[in-house]
Amino acid sequence: MRTHQSDDELMSEVARLVNELDPPPPGLIERAQFAVAIDDIDDIEFEVARWEEHRPLAGVRGGLPGTITFFVGDLTVMVNVTRTGERQRIDGWLVPAGAHGVEIRVADHGSTTTTADEGGRFVLTEVPRGTTQLLVRMNAEQSRTVVTPTVDL
Amino acid sequence: MTELQTASMAKPWEGLDGRDRHAACMIAAQAGDRSAFYVLVAELSPLVWHVARGNGLDRTSAEDVVQTVWLALLRHIDRLSEPRALAGWLITTTRREAVRVLQRASGQVELSGEIAERLQTTDPSPEHEVLRDERDQQLWAAFHKLTQRCQELLRLTVLAGRAEYRAVAEALHMPHGSIGPTRGRCINNLRALYNGDSGS
Repeated sequence: MRTHQSDDELMSEVARLVNELDPPPPGLIERAQFAVAIDDIDDIEFEVARWEEHRPLAGVRGGLPGTITFFVGDLTVMVNVTRTGERQRIDGWLVPAGAHGVEIRVADHGSTTTTADEGGRFVLTEVPRGTTQLLVRMNAEQSRTVVTPTVDL
Repeated sequence: MTELQTASMAKPWEGLDGRDRHAACMIAAQAGDRSAFYVLVAELSPLVWHVARGNGLDRTSAEDVVQTVWLALLRHIDRLSEPRALAGWLITTTRREAVRVLQRASGQVELSGEIAERLQTTDPSPEHEVLRDERDQQLWAAFHKLTQRCQELLRLTVLAGRAEYRAVAEALHMPHGSIGPTRGRCINNLRALYNGDSGS
């Protein structure tokens, strides 16, 4: 019977399946809008970091603490997340090391900033949980800012 | 005076649709209107999503790529001299980013093997239970056996069939209501896989 299905009929079946089975995830748009809602970003040169695809603790996506890594060009940032009650502690390590500025934005919770030490390490405590984005302002090159896509922590 | 005020407060893309609307948003966004950029993100993220998925990315990577593409647009917004070409730019940038993600992943795993595994294991799941009946399951499985080029093209065809995505059809040179030769081949391949599966 289905052998005689017309192109249009088959395409409307495909459309139904694509729309029902693989729609954009809930909150995709809101998270993307948050990711681009960075203050004063219009006038600066920035680079977009990628999360490491091969995440040893990919479960962090499901809300479990762990280590995640992102990179762009020669910069690698490792971030370790530890739950502290309702909040969390974020330990980070930037390579190449340097006293870079680090900003962590959490949706609906503003942002927290710190500066890495000369070894490239930084710590932020009492960070609220939620859709999170990191910005790194490279110390040596004032104009170089790196931003990440969001991750749900 | 009141009329003038109202007019000046109305956003330039209001009342427009499709490519005209998004071009007006692009021009406003290039002039620094962030709300115009949010409209583009809201209305064109499904396009970026389906291109990413059609190019072999799993749902998590596809969401990363959606954000990466929008950040890239924000970064390069002044370089897009033709606002009406936005849909095409998004499609091209998403494909390139998808390839980059897959290539990086293939550093650890053989690419074709990984894709094959991904298709077997994560598609179609966890939505599996939503599949209404055996025929749906067979069609969805057949769809994922198509080449990525065909999967992307058919996903874009689905999107382009909706009025708000007419720009997609234009970007891909798909005249409304017609099925070009490449799409025709993809649909025939799908039909063959679908029928072959059921042994009919």
